[in-house]
Amino acid sequence: MERLLHNYPYMVAVVLFVLGVYTILSQENLMKKIIGTNIMSSAIFLLFISAGNIAGGSPPIISKGYVPPEGVVLVNPLPAALILTGIVVSFSLTAFALSIVIKLHDYYGTIEADEILKLRSEL
Amino acid sequence: MWAWLASHPAALVVFMLMVAVSMPVLAHFRPLLCVYTACFAVGLALAGSLHLALLTLRGEVLSYAVEGWSPPWGIEVVVTPLSAFMLVVITAVSLCILVYSIASLEQEIPPGSIGWYYTSFLLLLAAMMGLAMANDLFNIYVFIEVSTIAACALVVAKNSKAAAEAALRYLLLAIVGSGFILFAICLLYLITGHLNITFTARALAGVYQQYPFLTWTALSFFLVGFSIKAALFPLHVWLPDAHSSAPAPSSAVLSALTIKIYAVVLIKLFFPLFGLQMLNETYLRHILLLMASLAIVAGSLFAFVQLDLKRRLAYSSVSGIGYIFLGIGLGSQLGLAAGILHIFNHAIMKACLFLSAGAIYRQTELRQVNRLQGIAFSMPVTMAAFSIAALSMVGIPLTSGFISKWYLSQGSIAAGQPIFIGLIVLSGILNASYFLPIIWQAFFVVDRQQPKTITLDAIPFSMLAGQVILAVAVLFFGFWPGFPLSLAQKAAAVILP
Repeated sequence: MERLLHNYPYMVAVVLFVLGVYTILSQENLMKKIIGTNIMSSAIFLLFISAGNIAGGSPPIISKGYVPPEGVVLVNPLPAALILTGIVVSFSLTAFALSIVIKLHDYYGTIEADEILKLRSEL
Repeated sequence: MWAWLASHPAALVVFMLMVAVSMPVLAHFRPLLCVYTACFAVGLALAGSLHLALLTLRGEVLSYAVEGWSPPWGIEVVVTPLSAFMLVVITAVSLCILVYSIASLEQEIPPGSIGWYYTSFLLLLAAMMGLAMANDLFNIYVFIEVSTIAACALVVAKNSKAAAEAALRYLLLAIVGSGFILFAICLLYLITGHLNITFTARALAGVYQQYPFLTWTALSFFLVGFSIKAALFPLHVWLPDAHSSAPAPSSAVLSALTIKIYAVVLIKLFFPLFGLQMLNETYLRHILLLMASLAIVAGSLFAFVQLDLKRRLAYSSVSGIGYIFLGIGLGSQLGLAAGILHIFNHAIMKACLFLSAGAIYRQTELRQVNRLQGIAFSMPVTMAAFSIAALSMVGIPLTSGFISKWYLSQGSIAAGQPIFIGLIVLSGILNASYFLPIIWQAFFVVDRQQPKTITLDAIPFSMLAGQVILAVAVLFFGFWPGFPLSLAQKAAAVILP
């Protein structure tokens, strides 16, 4: 139990991931679905970043010949670099999805998935 | 040149990316310039891929460390026989599709977006080639996202209501799928501290006993993610709309190549990382077999009830992907080789079928399968190509579809599960039940009112050429399956020794 509390970012990440997937699958509003994808990807970024972090660690910015003094630990820089890419990917997916939603709004005048389905079946 | 390519295989991906971004500029001067450049570039990539394939057939494994950073730290690109096989399939089939699109595309999408269409097309090719070669987990994630965006762009390019709706559904489900994949990659990185597949596999073998639950979670998240991406049966819901509402060249490339590259990545991850033993222990292999069997039967049944020709073909892709996962799930070297071989055979058949459906729509504006009576009299070449590919889907001997079914049957005997032969025969009968009526109507049901004169197809030559090359390939590789078969066997032998 203490270990769980100590690693609370992991728990938050898992809860957020589940919430995000649930939002995508359950909401009818297309904007809410897209918000769900963002919650889901943020959860994974949180998991990745918190995995690379060390409590009390200092930023991994070093120059040539630098030796960290005794007792100073540097956090893992790799997850931060990866997640930077992940954020860009998530941003472009969101932008693309929003542009399709705008198109759908032009066609149907609504962004509710169930109303679009009804309008389509009437055609 | 060739030796340089062998030591720098990633150059293929970079080359495709560079050609992709040049497309809108070329379209600014003349739209046709785009497609000719794209054909030329993909032709060059095909030559390069064939060279790499011949090298890997000789037993060489080509690896390249990006920027000279050696594997555990840097990004590594490895060309195994499986990668080389996939590179050849991607470039060869997309070359035929590009030739077809020379004349077909201007009718299907707004003229202003032709340059951007080819940008998305080549980005998709570059991402798929990258997926075939990448040996780094995070690289695989990035390429998956690039291919997702490019594939959705190819669907939405049609600029119709149905296409926009299908593309959004595809995009949302694909985001869920890649979320699961990234989660699994993150878990593997937490456990092992590596992103390179070779090193992750080595580290995972050591720490698996310590973290069994995290490993199983990663394994199942990979399965869910890739099943959504590859449209394996219960998670195929996005596929029929997306593939049937897209323009004909997009449908062909999405159905023939994009869903299969995820099966290849699944093979690349599952067998080296987790190994056959863990797949057996967690019953994941049995789940794969169950899902594949359901996909084969249910895909055919759904296809049977569709009246729209392109939707029928799209559901038939659901059953096609089932064959590939059946080959993976059998867990024997022969079965895996058959599954890999079916990737190639299904790609040429399904691309040919979608291109023919596009040609039929172009000439007659017909999409309903029950209105195609006597159509072979007005478009004999198209219907001949369609029939060859459809008979190959059924599995008639001397077509390439028969070869992959034959080896799948042998694989299921070798794996000690001959029950799957029954499944393959049943699926052949189901395929026949929804393809043969179309062929029968087209060739033999004649309207009494109309004269029975045979006229050649009234569609541009390049559209005919794309289909005919693919149909000839279906026949050719039905007679002489040597090259793809030996490459597939080599690939399976490397993965499952």
